[in-house]
Formats: sequence, structure tokens, C-alpha cells
Amino acid sequence: MRSLIGMLKIIKVFPPNVVALDDVSVKFEEGEIHAIVGENGAGKSTLMKVLFGMLAPNSGEIYYHGNQVNFQNPGQAIANGIGMVHQEILLVSEYTVWQNVILGVETINKFGQIDEKEAIEQVRQQIDEYHFNLDPQALVGEISVAARQKVEILKLLYRNVSVLILDEPTSVLTPQEIPQLFEELRRLRDNGHTILFISHHLDEVLSLSDRITVLRRGKKVGTVQEGETSKSELAKMMVGRNVVFSSIKSESHKGRKIFELKDWTSIDTDGRTRLNSVDINVRSGEIVGIAGVEGNGQHELVNSIMGLYSPSEGSLKVEGMELTNAPILERRKKISFVSQDRGNMGSCLDAPIRENVLMTHHRLNKRFAKFGGWVLNYNEAELLTKEVQEQFTVHMDTSDAEFQSLSGGNQQKAILGRELLLNTPFILLDQPTRGLDVGSIEYMHRQILAMRKQGRAILMLSADLEELFRITDRILVLNRGEIVANLQTEETSIDEVGFLMLEGKHYEAKTD
Amino acid sequence: MKQRLINGLAGIIVAMLLGAVVMFVQGYNPIETYYALFEYSLGDWYSFSTMLRNSVPLVLTGLSASVAFASGPVNLGQPGQLLMGALFATVTGLYLDLPAFLLLPLMIFAALIGGMLWSGIAALLKRWFNMDEFITTLMLNMIADYFTYWAISYPFAEPGAYSPMTPQINRSGWMPEYGHFNSNVIMMLFVIIIVWFLFTKTIAGYEWRISGKNSLFARLGGVQTKKNYMIVMLLTGALAGLAGGLVVMSGPHRFIKDIGANYAWDGVMIAMVANNGIIATVLYGLFFSTLQSGALGMELITAVPSELIMVLQAVIVLLVVAGRGYIDILLRKQAERRKVRERTT
Repeated sequence: MRSLIGMLKIIKVFPPNVVALDDVSVKFEEGEIHAIVGENGAGKSTLMKVLFGMLAPNSGEIYYHGNQVNFQNPGQAIANGIGMVHQEILLVSEYTVWQNVILGVETINKFGQIDEKEAIEQVRQQIDEYHFNLDPQALVGEISVAARQKVEILKLLYRNVSVLILDEPTSVLTPQEIPQLFEELRRLRDNGHTILFISHHLDEVLSLSDRITVLRRGKKVGTVQEGETSKSELAKMMVGRNVVFSSIKSESHKGRKIFELKDWTSIDTDGRTRLNSVDINVRSGEIVGIAGVEGNGQHELVNSIMGLYSPSEGSLKVEGMELTNAPILERRKKISFVSQDRGNMGSCLDAPIRENVLMTHHRLNKRFAKFGGWVLNYNEAELLTKEVQEQFTVHMDTSDAEFQSLSGGNQQKAILGRELLLNTPFILLDQPTRGLDVGSIEYMHRQILAMRKQGRAILMLSADLEELFRITDRILVLNRGEIVANLQTEETSIDEVGFLMLEGKHYEAKTD
Repeated sequence: MKQRLINGLAGIIVAMLLGAVVMFVQGYNPIETYYALFEYSLGDWYSFSTMLRNSVPLVLTGLSASVAFASGPVNLGQPGQLLMGALFATVTGLYLDLPAFLLLPLMIFAALIGGMLWSGIAALLKRWFNMDEFITTLMLNMIADYFTYWAISYPFAEPGAYSPMTPQINRSGWMPEYGHFNSNVIMMLFVIIIVWFLFTKTIAGYEWRISGKNSLFARLGGVQTKKNYMIVMLLTGALAGLAGGLVVMSGPHRFIKDIGANYAWDGVMIAMVANNGIIATVLYGLFFSTLQSGALGMELITAVPSELIMVLQAVIVLLVVAGRGYIDILLRKQAERRKVRERTT
């Protein structure tokens, strides 16, 4: 039997020396849901972008319906029936759903104008056909992220695409929204569409896909049938060793109150309340997690704690020291901070590794200054870099190399190392494992737990509920700028937290 | 490092070849012309010391622009700061009759203050009204231009002169000359060392460099970015002001209209070619001074107009800056091909 799509011996190199795809051959059959799984940097997105014509492979062949193809750009791929939905949603938020859908392929009436009635009708028909539950007249800026994702899919269907590529579609959804997406994808498959689905969530992959291809570091490990594999087997294929999915916490020894945030309120320049009397306390030896759908005040919370802007009201104390309006340097004596935005907030990508590791230390520790405190002591900076390199297993050639020459995982380890060696009583972690592979995440978690054992107070924001359940002692749920729940991790469930994240009110399904 | 050297040299050589083609088409002998160009800038001690003396304003304004750009602030006010520095130094030299060992440092100090004052206004406008220094420094250039024009036309004018200028400053305020060698070069060397040390070896310099590349990261790391902005603006203003002061003290010894010429804009251009590197700025400053100093000799000996040098300069800037980007792309492509070959064999 001939496959719908055959990708043969694909090689793709990103200079200077990253081999993103190393001789990958894979076949996709018509009418299947085919998952592509792998750790971050395994080459999943690259493989799909090569198929979609966004990236040109360095060598290899692609067959589609039995003919060799070579799409020069995504437009050609779409014209041939292959479409891709990216991780970031690319829509015009000031346009309505139907306007977004027809953008670029407008139906024109005899006066050269867009035939609105016809267009709306066509879009409505398609929405009904796939049970998408969307209002074609709604403004995209005002609908939920899940709905926007549907609009992206609809856009492709409107262009008669029969092969849909979805790049980590669930990463922007809440746990409650995922089953609905899967339902829709299954319906599309039953209608004869082929779906290629990128993910690194094994549960999702197993519940949805017909076949699964595993990539590891640019190489194909294998393709397996659903039903002939298990989560642990897939995980083993992905990382090349056994991974334990369980809580790794030890007994906690909570001590005195370290971090006290009271009545913390932030109102933005448009007068909207972004944070509404938020109270957070963290004791030493405690990890408190903050769960919430992105955009519910996390950003404002982190930035105002770090002093990028002042709160409208409230007070912040760390170890009894008043920091509400303190300059950032003053805060840094008490607060270590790992940002979710490695490239912009956590590091300077085009500065040497050594100078990245030195940041903040250079002001807080006398040993980095000589001759009366204003000449930099590069020997000490080099020693600090060595310390970070060894203690946090950062793989680097020389400390002179630019920070961006490190892999994502190593960058994050170096940043974590820098921050933890500041030896502050309080640690603020904003999605510290975002975009990291399974191995690095495991490593981060162990380091964070080691800090808990040392008696530091840790506040961690994360979009990954599994992560929060794995290492936190308490979980606070942030919804529309308010803390709507304060739960002991042991006594709650992913379902409950997920519900609170979405609804903001108490979960009643279980208590009834 | 090596790569940048090759890029720079290649840019210069290609530009000169292009210049040769232009000359050839116009019917001049390129070899003869280039010979005259370098003969009159590097050929003997006299030419060489003239070239060094002329390089001082180029290098100092170049350093001003390099340090500013590499640290974040887009200070484009070197022309105005240079004029204000020159005016302050001139006025000091006109009214204070002191022995050289007192007057020279005082005039240099006045030049620094003049430049600092002018960049300081832009810095305060940013701090108080959040006005972009990119605009304000350019506007202040105009104001400095007409302010100094007024100052040398009325309050400080030389009575009876045909064009606006001040009287000569006191003799003890002239930079000492040893033979043809002007001591403003020594001052320049001193400043280069200080700036290099400050920028690459001190804690402040480290903070400036990181802020220039990623100011949010620096700010979150505890760097006082606002304070540093102020300091960098004042420092780079002072450098441009010093350039102006030294032009007066080592050249005409008075403030003549258009004394700043294009020094400061050339300095900005040099900073761009040098990609804001301290050492590279000094080297390009010396090279551009070689071209400019030799141009006069070239015009003297051959029939080639000295304006050709401006063309040459512009071509060098374009080639070096474009080449910098292109070499990166080329190297990446090469690495990519090598990797693929490794995989397929």
C-alpha cells in the first residue's frame, strides 16, 4: 500500500553545528492521527516545517500522493492540501472570525467587494459541519484561546486542506479544553482528514493517536501503533532511559515565615485591575506553587515582586525586610529569580557566559571587586563560572563563548546556578522548566527540592500542573488577578485545580 | 577577532580598488594618486605627525559614539558637544592669563564641562520628560551650532575680523609642540587608555556593556540603569567636548566659524564601522585621518580632487558594515554544508 506522505532520509542542519534532523524517514497514511513525540529539541517541529515548506531540507526527498514534491513555501503546501497550525496563534484580533477565515482567499462579488453574506454563510456551514461551536461574527480578540485555535483550524479547512499539522496544540489549552479539541480532531479524521500532531505529553498522545513516531535528538527512534505501547515505553524511547513519573518530595520541615505579600494590588494604565489584594506567605523549607491559565495576573505578580513596577497597594516583606518600594538591587539581596523568559529577562544572549553568571553577584559580593571596589575581578568571575559549571553540570567549552552557544537546558542550568548561588532566603521561579526536555526538568526539580531542604522559601509559578503536583507543598490558584484557592497539594487533585483555574470558583463536582 | 580584522582589511582593499577604477575611468593614474595619498600622510615624520594630530578629534568623537552606542544611549550629539567644549575652552583661554601648567589643565577641564553640559541637558530631558536622546541630541546640535556662531559674532568676537571668530587664546594655553609633534596626541593616548580600562575592566564598564546589549536583564540583575544612563551620557559628552577643546588648543588657537567641520559626524561613522569596539574605533580613526590628511597632498601633486576621499570613506563604511553581516551568513552556510557532508558520507 502506498502511503499518503513519505519523507525519506531528511537531513536538516542549523548552523553552526546543530543537526536538527539526522537522516529521518517517516511515512504518514491517509486518514490517520499520527503523533510525533520527542523531547524539546528532538526535531519534531523542524520535521513538520520541512514538510510544510517553511524550511528547506539540506537533503532528502518528500513524496505526496506518490509524487515527489518540494514545497518552496507554506503557500504551495496549502495549495496542495497540507496546512499547519503553529504553537503561537497567528490571527488578526481586531477582525471577526469569518474575516480571519477568509483573509487572503476572499470571495469577491461583481463590484470587486468582499461578498460578506456569502462568506459568512460559507464559514457558518463549515463551523456546523465540524461542530466547532463558534460564532462567525465574534471578534477574535474577544474569544478564548481554545476558540482561536479552532479558527486557525477552520482557516485551513476553508482552504480545502486535507492534511493538518498541529504543533503542540494543547500547550495553550486548559486541562478541561483538551478533550473537546481531541473530539474535534477525531471527527476530522473520520471525515477523511489526516492529522499530524506534535506533542510531548504522553497521556494525550496515547489517548488520541493511531500511530506514534518518536524522535530523539534529530533521529527517528521508531514508529509504533497505539495499543501496542505504553506510557513508560514511550518515555523510554523519548529519553533513552527509564523515567519515573512520581512525586519525588521528601518530608518537609517548614520554618518561619520568609515571604509575606499583603493586599498586593496592581492596576494597569488603562485602569484595569490586574492583581486584586493578593496575599501570599511562604515559609522557609516550603515550596508554594501558583497555578493559573496564562494571562490571569502571573506576569504582573512576578514583575511587581521584582520591582519592575510598583504595586498600587500592598506590602512586600522578605525575612522581615520591607521591600514594597525598594530598588531592585535591594530586593536582590533577599530574592533569587529565575524568569520564564530566558533570552530577555534571564540572560544576555550575546555576552560571554562568564559575564552572564556574574550578574548580580558583582554587586552583592565583595570578592568580585578589587582596588577599592570599582575594578572587576575577572579571576573571581572565572571561579564563579567554574563553580556553576561543576555544581549545576553546565556543558560548555569556554566561559568566553557567547551565552547563546549553550543549549536551552544548559542556559537554564547556568541561570539557576547563578541565582541559587546568591544564597538568598527567598527564591522566585517563574515557569523555570518551560521549554526544557524531560531530563533537564528532572534535574531542575531535584535542585529546587534541594533548596527546600536547605530551608529556603520558594514560590513557583507554573503552567504545568503535573510539575506543581510533583514538587510543591501548597498550591495557590490565580484567576483574574485573585487568589481563589489555597490548597495543600496532598489534599487536592489535578481536576480540582484545573477547574479552579478555569472557573475561579469552588469545585463542587466532588463534594456533591 | 581575526575575522573582524579580515573583514576590515578586505573592505578597505576592495574600496580602494573601486576608487582606483573611478580614477582610471576619469583618466587619472590610480597608482600615482595612491602613492601621493600615503606619501603625504605617512611618508615622513612631518606628514605622520600631522596625520596623528588630525586623528585626535576623529578618535575622541569616535570613542564618544562607540561608548554611548555600546552602552545603550544613542548619543548623536557629538557635533554640538564638540562645539560647546571648544567654546568653553576658548573662553577660558581668552580670559585667564595663567602659566601653562595651570591653564592647560583648566582649559581641558572647561572643554570636558562644555561637552558634559550639552549631553547632560539631553540626559535630563530623558529623565524628566522621557524624551528620546536620539532626537534631543540632534536638536541640541543645531542649538549649539547657532549659539556658538552668536558667541563668536558678538560677545567674544575679534574686533575688526572679516568673518566670525574669537581673538587668539593666551599663548600658555596652546598645546605644546615638539618639532611637528603636537602633544594633543599624548592627551589622546591617555584618554584611549582610560576609556578602554573603564569600559572593559571596571564594574561600571561591565554594567554598561551588559545594559547596552540587554537592559532589562541588567535591570533585573540589580544594575541601576538610570544612573548608568546619566553617567554614560555625561562621559560621552565630555569626550566630544574634549575633542573640541583640543582642536582649538592644538590648531588655530581660536574659535573660528565651522571649526568643528565634520569631525564629529566622522566620529559617529567611525564608531559604526568599528562596531562600537574601543580598539577598532582607534584604528579606524587613525586610518580615516590618514586618508583625510593625505587627500590634500594628493590634490597638490595629482589632479585628483580631494573630494574623492569622501567617496572612498563612504564606500569603506558600506563595504565593512555590509561585509560584517555577510561574513556571518557565509560562515553559517559553510558550517551547514560541512555538517551535511559529514552526515552523507
